[in-house]
Amino acid sequence: MTRKGFKSLLLLLAAALLLPLCAAPALAALDARALLKESESRHRTKTQQYSGDLTVVNKEGKVRKKGWNSYRQGYAGDSKNLIRFTDPPEVKGVGFLSLPRPGSDNPDQWLYLPSMKRERRIAPQDRDASFVGTDFNYEDMEEFDHEKYKVALQGEETLDGQPCWVITAIPLEKGGKSIYQKRILYLRKDILYLVREDLIRKGDKEPAKRLILSDIKNVEGHYVAARMEMTDLKKGSHTTVTLKQISFNRPQPASRFTLQNLTREGGD
Amino acid sequence: MITRLLILFLLLLPCSALAEGFSGYAELKGFAYGERFSGEPYGAGWGTLYNKWEQRLAESQFTASLRAEWLTAPQTTPLVFDPADRKLRRPPISVPELWLRVPLAPSHDLELGRFQLGWGKTDGYSPADAFLPRDVTDPFADEKLPLWAIRLSGQEENLRYQAVLVPVTTPWRLPPLGSRNAPIASGALPEGTRFYEKDDQPPLPGFAALRLLATHGDWDLGVWARSGVRPAPILEFSLDPALQTGPVPVISVGRRYPREHGVGVEVSRVAGPYVLRGEVAALFSADRELGDALIGTLSVERGFGDGTLLITLAGNAIDPPVDPTLLFDRGLLPALIVAWNQTEEWGVWKLVWDCGLTRGDGLLKGEVGYNVTDTWKVTVGGDLPYGSDKGPLGALHGARRLVAALRRSW
Repeated sequence: MTRKGFKSLLLLLAAALLLPLCAAPALAALDARALLKESESRHRTKTQQYSGDLTVVNKEGKVRKKGWNSYRQGYAGDSKNLIRFTDPPEVKGVGFLSLPRPGSDNPDQWLYLPSMKRERRIAPQDRDASFVGTDFNYEDMEEFDHEKYKVALQGEETLDGQPCWVITAIPLEKGGKSIYQKRILYLRKDILYLVREDLIRKGDKEPAKRLILSDIKNVEGHYVAARMEMTDLKKGSHTTVTLKQISFNRPQPASRFTLQNLTREGGD
Repeated sequence: MITRLLILFLLLLPCSALAEGFSGYAELKGFAYGERFSGEPYGAGWGTLYNKWEQRLAESQFTASLRAEWLTAPQTTPLVFDPADRKLRRPPISVPELWLRVPLAPSHDLELGRFQLGWGKTDGYSPADAFLPRDVTDPFADEKLPLWAIRLSGQEENLRYQAVLVPVTTPWRLPPLGSRNAPIASGALPEGTRFYEKDDQPPLPGFAALRLLATHGDWDLGVWARSGVRPAPILEFSLDPALQTGPVPVISVGRRYPREHGVGVEVSRVAGPYVLRGEVAALFSADRELGDALIGTLSVERGFGDGTLLITLAGNAIDPPVDPTLLFDRGLLPALIVAWNQTEEWGVWKLVWDCGLTRGDGLLKGEVGYNVTDTWKVTVGGDLPYGSDKGPLGALHGARRLVAALRRSW
């Protein structure tokens, strides 16, 4: 065998040995992507509205509550959102409007403060800032868009008696720099619904926060978690969101997602 | 006395909500001053009971609110109901809101009644808001007065409009002259000077105004125009020989309300994590003591975590022909205003610095609000006017104070 032929044989052997190692993650990534795509297509709705109760319990056990009404039209990156706080009295009437802007990852956002009697345009928030004093930050409030992540199927696990797919998602940093290094998603196998998410901050090895989605109901043919709990594993605090009077695909009036409506006191 | 008892009684009520559609608060405030001023004591109290009722009537919205107050100093008028808010002093019972909104089309509304307006883009100081009447009974509270008005507003695509007709002038309400809350330099008048303030009637007609707004990408643009009676009075001082009965002079004070016309432009835009805002307004008056003004403001806002830092620069390019201290809506100009508001897990705090750039006076204000529960809140803070007493804030040196408040909301 010539030296050239020997080299070719070595390359072939190496390729034969390495191919399965390379193919395995590629296949896993493909499966994870397919699962997430299927999950999104199953649970995508045109509109959603609900009234929500939010309870923050800090590490000393002190409880804070807020209530609001939420309206959404569209899904993930193209959604319009209106939130109107109803409780406690100090924030009653405060409104938040978010509208997608074509060609931009950041939506246009406005806040209406009844005390000022006018709407205020707000700059894109620091994604690590707490959302209205809760354990959710602004990045947590964004709907998960798997296309902005490198995903891989890590395995399977059973949570509360439900078999789940475990998927790792690493931000591609497309559409804004993430504060997380990795997310670990738990997708219920039977309905492909996200039931848990572990959030690992950059520079950390262990999850800093954990989101549990429970009380899953079928409302008007759509699965929805009526309870979401975010626990800050380092601070020891947790925030629970309860969704009530949930409805999907109800036609939303075009005037709902307007600045004129945002400034209507006493309105939706 | 009845008002005091009512406030105390309601503060003690354990209920969290009276009924659906009702909200409000009861608040007790205490002020501790750094000095006695013209016989006023070191302390003062202020009790407020506020109730609001909101009701949907099909597509329409009805809102009414009633406020009862008890002040130790400066005193309100004797118990009187003044729904138009045209008296010299703050009435103990008032109607801050009484309005009905009727939608004429999905994004077009007609509102009638009594409500507050907020127009300007720049926070801290806005020429578009400056013409609106204010109650400076508490000079550091920056409280807008509601108007009796008709408002037509709407939106088509990215264009919005507001047309406002205010048939009745609601005048600015000032603290009693000669009190610690009135911005008059202590050395400007002989010691012990007394003021005789005439409760003269402000003119009946108010003003009309139109505002157009457009949003395009990162930009928000607006133009406005208004014409009518200026609600901030020009004070007229005179020595009436008939009033000079003692050893100290008695100065008679009248109020005059000139007409003023104005046009303005508002611009704001988002630039990364910042929001930049600017306004310019040209104001015209034939009144020789008021004259014209060209007011401009620039502000920048930046969010930090759960807080906001706001810096505003405001100035008037035309020197007023009257002592600027007594032009209550623009006396501080030119000014730098810096405000930091922060929300914490336990409550909120804010720091404000108003700095007059000509006379070297200003105001430092700090406040911490602690949420005991979702409905009980304790606030402590202080207001420190400083600098030359020839400036409107420096002249308030007698009003340096610490404030503590307890609020129960429902």
